[in-house]
Amino acid sequence: MAKPVILSGEGSIIQMLKYINWGLVLLVTLLASIGFTALYSAAGGSFDPWAGKQMIRYSVFMIGTIIIALVDIRFWYRIAYPFYFTCLVLLVIVDLMGVIGMGAQRWINLGFIQIQPSELTKIAVVMALAKYFHSADAQDMKSLRFLLIGVSFLIAPFLLVATQPDLGTSGVIVMAGLAMFFLAGAPIWIFLVGAAAAAAAAPMGWLLLHDYQKQRVLTFLDPERDPLGAGYHITQSKIALGSGGFEGKGFLKGTQSHLDFLPEKQTDFIFTLWVEEWGFFGGVFILMVIGMILGYGAWIAMRCRHSFGRLLAFGLMINFSIYVFINVSMVMGLIPVVGVPLPLVSYGGTAMMSVMIGFGLMMSCNVYKDAKLPRM
Amino acid sequence: MNNFNRAKIQVSGQKRSVLDMARSRLMLLSLFFILTYIVVAARIVDLTIIQGEMKKGEETVSMLEAEPVQKKTAHRADILDRNGIILARSLKTASLAADPELIPDKQIVAKDLVKIFPELTYGETLKKLQEARRFVWIKRNMTPDDQYKILYLGHPGLSFMEEERRLYPQGPLAAHVVGFTNTDDRGLGGLEAGFDKLLMESGEPLMTTIDVRVQHALRRETANAIKKFNAVAGAGVVMNVNTGEILAAVSLPDFDPHKVNDKDKNTMFNRLTLGVFEPGSTFKIFTTAAAIENAGAGMSATYDATKPLKVGRFTISDYHPEKRVMTLPEVFMHSSNIGSVKMAQQVGTEQFQNFLSDLGLFKAPDIEIPEVGAPLIPKPWKEINTMTAAFGHGIAVSPLQLVTASASIMNGGILVKPTLVLDKTLKKDKGNSVRVVSEKTAHRMRQLMRLVVTDGTGGKADVAGYNVGGKTGTAEKDSGGKYDQNKLRSSFMAFFPAENPKYAVYILVDEPKGNKESYGYATAGWVAAPAVKKVIESIVAIEGIKPQDSDELGGTLDAYVKSKEEIAKEKQLAALAAH
Repeated sequence: MAKPVILSGEGSIIQMLKYINWGLVLLVTLLASIGFTALYSAAGGSFDPWAGKQMIRYSVFMIGTIIIALVDIRFWYRIAYPFYFTCLVLLVIVDLMGVIGMGAQRWINLGFIQIQPSELTKIAVVMALAKYFHSADAQDMKSLRFLLIGVSFLIAPFLLVATQPDLGTSGVIVMAGLAMFFLAGAPIWIFLVGAAAAAAAAPMGWLLLHDYQKQRVLTFLDPERDPLGAGYHITQSKIALGSGGFEGKGFLKGTQSHLDFLPEKQTDFIFTLWVEEWGFFGGVFILMVIGMILGYGAWIAMRCRHSFGRLLAFGLMINFSIYVFINVSMVMGLIPVVGVPLPLVSYGGTAMMSVMIGFGLMMSCNVYKDAKLPRM
Repeated sequence: MNNFNRAKIQVSGQKRSVLDMARSRLMLLSLFFILTYIVVAARIVDLTIIQGEMKKGEETVSMLEAEPVQKKTAHRADILDRNGIILARSLKTASLAADPELIPDKQIVAKDLVKIFPELTYGETLKKLQEARRFVWIKRNMTPDDQYKILYLGHPGLSFMEEERRLYPQGPLAAHVVGFTNTDDRGLGGLEAGFDKLLMESGEPLMTTIDVRVQHALRRETANAIKKFNAVAGAGVVMNVNTGEILAAVSLPDFDPHKVNDKDKNTMFNRLTLGVFEPGSTFKIFTTAAAIENAGAGMSATYDATKPLKVGRFTISDYHPEKRVMTLPEVFMHSSNIGSVKMAQQVGTEQFQNFLSDLGLFKAPDIEIPEVGAPLIPKPWKEINTMTAAFGHGIAVSPLQLVTASASIMNGGILVKPTLVLDKTLKKDKGNSVRVVSEKTAHRMRQLMRLVVTDGTGGKADVAGYNVGGKTGTAEKDSGGKYDQNKLRSSFMAFFPAENPKYAVYILVDEPKGNKESYGYATAGWVAAPAVKKVIESIVAIEGIKPQDSDELGGTLDAYVKSKEEIAKEKQLAALAAH
């Protein structure tokens, strides 16, 4: 407990690097390596077109993650609100671009990189709520007014992302946000009332869904109703998983995925490809690695001596775990098909970037866990 | 002091309780995650072990118990012409594949393979054999001789796959009709694509309406005309006007279906069915028929063609200006644009549009190949569009549509559906045959078409004893928004025998250039009409049609057509009267 308080500017970079959670870095790299292996296999035993790019991307992002980890937590605390509002502005911009472009628009093209504001928003909401609840005392948490202001942090991004339309991401934002309320100590009865209200509103929501979204839900309830259309993904995915058995078919030998029965094998259905080739053991291994990462996140949160870090670390961990659970449950037919990748494993830069920023912030919480943060 | 201390303790106690609460909430959420984890893990067990491993067991049992079944090799059916001559047939061939894992010395195998197949290179073959896969193709469709050589080598890891290779014994003869397949035996063009499923599944040969002999004559003459007049392309069709059956269909340049390069748009493009063009004067068949059918115009109806028509900034003039008042037959035989415009105006825009639409000129025809082009119809259709359409401009249709619509008038007035297959149940257009013009109008049109050949622009198409009727069409090509007098599309639409036509013969030549023999002319009468004549001569020889002594329609309209002497005399009289 007698560790010195680490502040920015104190000690050299080398000294500060000691406080980075290298265990977490190792686990994250292990998970990403599973992704490289699977992508190498998805391309029929080739680094091109996926595995090679993914490796380069990961290396670049990892450097960024370490830099984020070394930046003083008070800096992140200070920019929490400006960052949140910047994200909202970006969301409005893409929504407007979507209106002009006559279709779903989720990207902003900066020339050298395309950014997806909804991904950044996930982090921004967690940061903003962590800051908001940081200054709250027990009295505040019982005040309805205080809680409603907190809820308003969720409403704007939810609506902006949902209208893109990207129901998956807007759902993740709300779920992570609600978990923050729970952690901060909002009364339990609020959640019960909320759940009841959601159940009552569900039929209304059904009417608001797009046709393809309705299809997905109906198909989930009964994949047989459309085995060649919307049910195809799930049916194929389950066949591929089942054909893996205990030990799997062996590296590069997953027939279902390689013969292109399995769509989107390099993105949303990468878990299926992995389990087909490495079997039950491979599936359990990947879940164990993810479990250890989540455990690490929870451990960082609990050790943190300021509520901002505690809430931020846990919120980011929740973000990551929601991704994992939605993706894994989807490919195994536990929930309807929603386009959510398996972070760090699926091919793609955007999800990887937001998750890696998350890990960076999480580690920053650990490096500066004893920092003194002001109360507003 | 006590009070102060108490207060301090209270504050720190409150802090502690907040911290405890936070910790307990963290624990609660973590517990929730662990539960979710258990559900996911249980699902993995369910899918991979309970459903996966168990099913594996079931499969083995059922495979052991199952009767050996005759291995059904999908055999793609033949495509035949109407007399049973083969247009496309699949032959069984062997293809060579390798399993790199089973090949110990890859260099030696690669060296041996290159010796047998000189078209393979050592480097590429070795690379294939070094791939980390269990299956690579080495050579598709090889000869039995090569197969023997491979067997003789006796290398492990090489295996033969039985495949089929599509052969087209007639080569490019009917390439655009028959179409072609890819290496996996799937139809990608023509009837091969239109009946892909049927050919794969039924095993029954597909009988087409094509007559190879007529097809050959049509292709030969179209190609000759292109060559003779140094043209860029051409198209042609021979159709039975009563049944809609297509005996021959040609689009040139064409391609060898064994060596398809689908990036070569010039050869792959089917100009007969997919291309749409401004038809030019052949369209006057419809204008004239509409005037007779809908406006009650008789053979003595007259149209003033003394001077060009001015519409806005356009001037409509005649190619062979007669500069006088002409009767309806004279307008048709001299192919007067001015007269035709007046005919269309007499019919009226709405009725004219309905007439063309009833003939099927406003929608893509239903035919059994996928390469079908939709016509370009002016929208909105205004008065000016009626005027230009009257002589076949400002509207673009495919030659197939043009021939089908003309045939529907010439056969006695019943709308005909074009088809490429003999089996009526396979016909794509199963619509009812409706009447489009009266028999009387049809008879008039037959007289007029015969007149064009006996006395008008189509003289070079006449075949003695077979009473050919027809209409020329010379359209200036649209190049960059302007009509170019030096770039023509010359076509001829013929029917024979004119008194009761059985065949329609149509040839289109794209950008012919005049030569010495044609005195520099590149118009339809000089380019397309003689080619059509030769096709007709071939057809009558192939079909054994006897020549006729009589020409029932020849000269029947003489009363309405002024001879050259009459015209000269009239001009003299007029000049005298003016004095």
